Formats: sequence, C-alpha cells, structure tokens
Amino acid sequence: MLENFSFRTIIEYLPLFGQGLITTVWLSALSFAGALAVGIVLAAMNLQRGRLFRIAAKAYIDAVRATPLLAQLYFLYFGLPRLGLVLPELVVGIIALSLNSGAYVAEIIRAGILSIPRGQVEAGVASGMTYVQRMRLVILPQAFKVTIPPLLGQAIVLVKDSALLSLISVSELTRAGQLLASDRFMPAEGFITIAAFYLLLYYGLKGLAALSSRWLGLQPARSST
Amino acid sequence: MTNATKTGMIDFRGVNKWFGSLNVLKDITLSVEPREVVVVCGPSGSGKSTLIRCINGLEAIKDGDLVVDGQRLGDPATNMTQLRTEIGFVFQSFNLYPHKTALENVTLAPIHVRKIPRAEAEQAGRDLLAKVGLADKINAYPSQLSGGQQQRVAIARCLGMRPKIMLFDEPTSALDPEMISEVLDVMVAVAEEGMTMMVVTHEMGFARKVAQRVVFMDAGAIVESGTPEEFFSAPKTDRSRAFLSKILRH
Repeated sequence: MLENFSFRTIIEYLPLFGQGLITTVWLSALSFAGALAVGIVLAAMNLQRGRLFRIAAKAYIDAVRATPLLAQLYFLYFGLPRLGLVLPELVVGIIALSLNSGAYVAEIIRAGILSIPRGQVEAGVASGMTYVQRMRLVILPQAFKVTIPPLLGQAIVLVKDSALLSLISVSELTRAGQLLASDRFMPAEGFITIAAFYLLLYYGLKGLAALSSRWLGLQPARSST
Repeated sequence: MTNATKTGMIDFRGVNKWFGSLNVLKDITLSVEPREVVVVCGPSGSGKSTLIRCINGLEAIKDGDLVVDGQRLGDPATNMTQLRTEIGFVFQSFNLYPHKTALENVTLAPIHVRKIPRAEAEQAGRDLLAKVGLADKINAYPSQLSGGQQQRVAIARCLGMRPKIMLFDEPTSALDPEMISEVLDVMVAVAEEGMTMMVVTHEMGFARKVAQRVVFMDAGAIVESGTPEEFFSAPKTDRSRAFLSKILRH
C-alpha cells in the first residue's frame, strides 16, 4: 500500500495543511476562551445556595455530556438559522465548541474550588473577609493551581473535537485532509498528514501541561490540613 | 460569677444549639469580662469547640442571647463581618493560607479588610512575627514550617488585626509534644498583655498560669466553673473528677 504513498502530493498540499493548522489553532484557542467563560459562569451557578441556579447549571451540564458533540453541532448549525440567526460556519463552530467544552470546564473548576479545605474558608470568614474577598484572596488562587493540569487536558480534547467542524465545511486541519483525499483520491496521504499535525499539537499542549505542573509543583499546594 | 445586668465582653444568656436532634449547647450562661482569660475543657464531644465557634458566628445559635463586644449576634443591626475583625480565632489545624508566605498570611486581612496601608501592615507583620519568635521565617511558606511554627504564625495573623478578643480552639492538639510549649509561651505572652481570651484546651499548666477561670463542659452543658486552683484541687462534681483523673493520670 505504501509504495504508492506520495510525499510529493503532501508537499504540494503543504500550504493548505498549514492554513488548516493555523485555523485549527486559533479557533481552538478562541473556543477554549469561550469554554472558560461558560465554565466559570456554570461553576458559579453550581456553587450557589439558590436551588434554581444549581438545577439549571446541572441540567445544562448533563445535557451536554449526554449527547454527542456532532449532534450539538448540527443542532446549532441547522437550528440557529430557523431562529432567524444566520451566522458564518466558523462562528457556529466556535460557539458549539465553547458551549460543549464549557460544560466540562465547569466541572473542573467546581472540583478545584471544592478541593480547597473547609478550614481555608473558615480562616477567611474568621478574619472578617467578605465572600468576594475570600474567593479572590484565598480560594480562587489555590483552586487555580489545582485546576490548570486538568484544564490543559480539556484543551487537548477540544483541539481534537474541532475536527468535527470539517463537517460544516470550516476549512480547518481535517478539512484540508479531506480536500486532498477527494481531489486526488489519496485518503492515506490526506489523513496521515493531518494525524501527524494533530500529534504535533498534542505534544505541544502536553508539554505545556507538564511545564505548568512542574512550575506549580515548586510552590506549595496546600498546608497539612 | 455571672451577672445578668452587667454586660461582659462575651455574654452567653440561655444559649441553646442543636445539630439535628442533638442538643449540643444546653442553656449556656457565661460572661467573660474584658482582659479575662477563660479556659474551657471537657471530654471530646462536650460542645467546647461549638461554644467558642458561636462567638464569631462560625456556628449559629438557635435560641438565647449571645452578646459580643456589646453587639447581639443574630440581630439585623449587627454587622457580623465587622464584628469578626475584632475577634481573632486560632484553629486546631492552623488553617494558614498555603499560597501565602508567613508575612503575607499576617498582612492579608489587615490590608484588605482593615484597609491598613501595605507598608504599615508589613512593618506590623514583621514585628509580630518577631514577637512570636519567627523573625527568620518571614518569607517561608506554611509547608516549609513545623506545626508549632505554623500555629505561631496563625496567632500572629490574628494579632495583626488588633482584635479585642482571641479565641483558641484546641491550639496545641495537632502538635507534636515538643512543639506545644513554644505555642503556649506565645499564648501566655498574649494573655499577659491583657487580651480577652477563651481557650479550649487540656493544657492544665497553661490554665494554672494565666486563666482566671476554668469552665468544665460535659454533654453540651457547663457543669462546673471556678478558678483553676479550685477546679484542679477540689473539683465539685463526679464528672469533672472523672475527667481530671483521666487527663492528669500521666
């Protein structure tokens, strides 16, 4: 099979792959920023005393986790125009990824906040801090450190999930592979190449995760409580 | 000892509290005068910790009156956050902020809650850490300190707020034996400067040295109260005698 493998074609298509790679990187970055925003709001709702907020956040998170991303993507892609909202495919894709990943990010942030020992809250309360001061000065800085490694894990998942946007004809990395496959009938060249690029992105993010862990490991994560 | 008309620094009048159906504080009446040091002891589960946690509102009382520094807890007019700045609380498990250095632990609340200028708060923080014998640990993180050192930082953290009252919840119970005295020495010094203190502890040496009164609790009620001398040499009830024979046996 591989005797026909055409490196020449791959090199010929390299600019297209390059474009796709760049698109994948920045649309993933934007989506991840969106996911962080969605996740912070959901986590805050989930930690409220008010039951209504909690139920709404949990229902949303369950709905996202229980259904395939592809179904969510099509739901927005075909559903939004019906509501009179016609957006470019790229924008729909970023919204879908943000909303999807946001549900997972919310759980990571919530777990991070809940992992901070109760005594930390009490120390803040006892010294006369308000809820906002406690969150800002005591809880969030500690939760942040616990949260970074799993958040980078979620970023890796998001990058791979962004491949689905090729199905609504966003010209990202996977779309470039599809084009090579269909233009020249060379699926092996097309998809092996994009796989290699995804691997590259994966190692980049993994390296970042390792670096951040090591950096965070230098600083004490918690007291003996 | 208690006086219904006069208001002390801390005044419990007929306070009750339940955890579910468990009556953890039973009809507590107790008044602590300014500059008084009261030691609270009793078997585990007797409600000692709950008693002092009520004073700064870490626990809410169910009925009765609790007046602290002239302000009634649970009263809508009482600003609890404000009142807490006047009350230092030392935890059994220290609860230092692990992401902050010793000095930052001491200055955090003075800067953000008391709104003291940073430079001034840091100078005061350095002085306090020196006072508890940790001048050389100013930039250490809690994880780099021993238990005794952490608890001394925690005491300095409370003193940084210039409180009127200090509450200690078993401050030496989580410490290795050789570290207990370094913490008690600091507490003695704080007491001798005239701080109003309530201390939950079984350190009878500390009680003898600085306490004006020992309060013995059992099953949520104050069973006995008296000077350390009276309490240790002539306990009046069977329960306090049984308790003392257990903790003083060794």
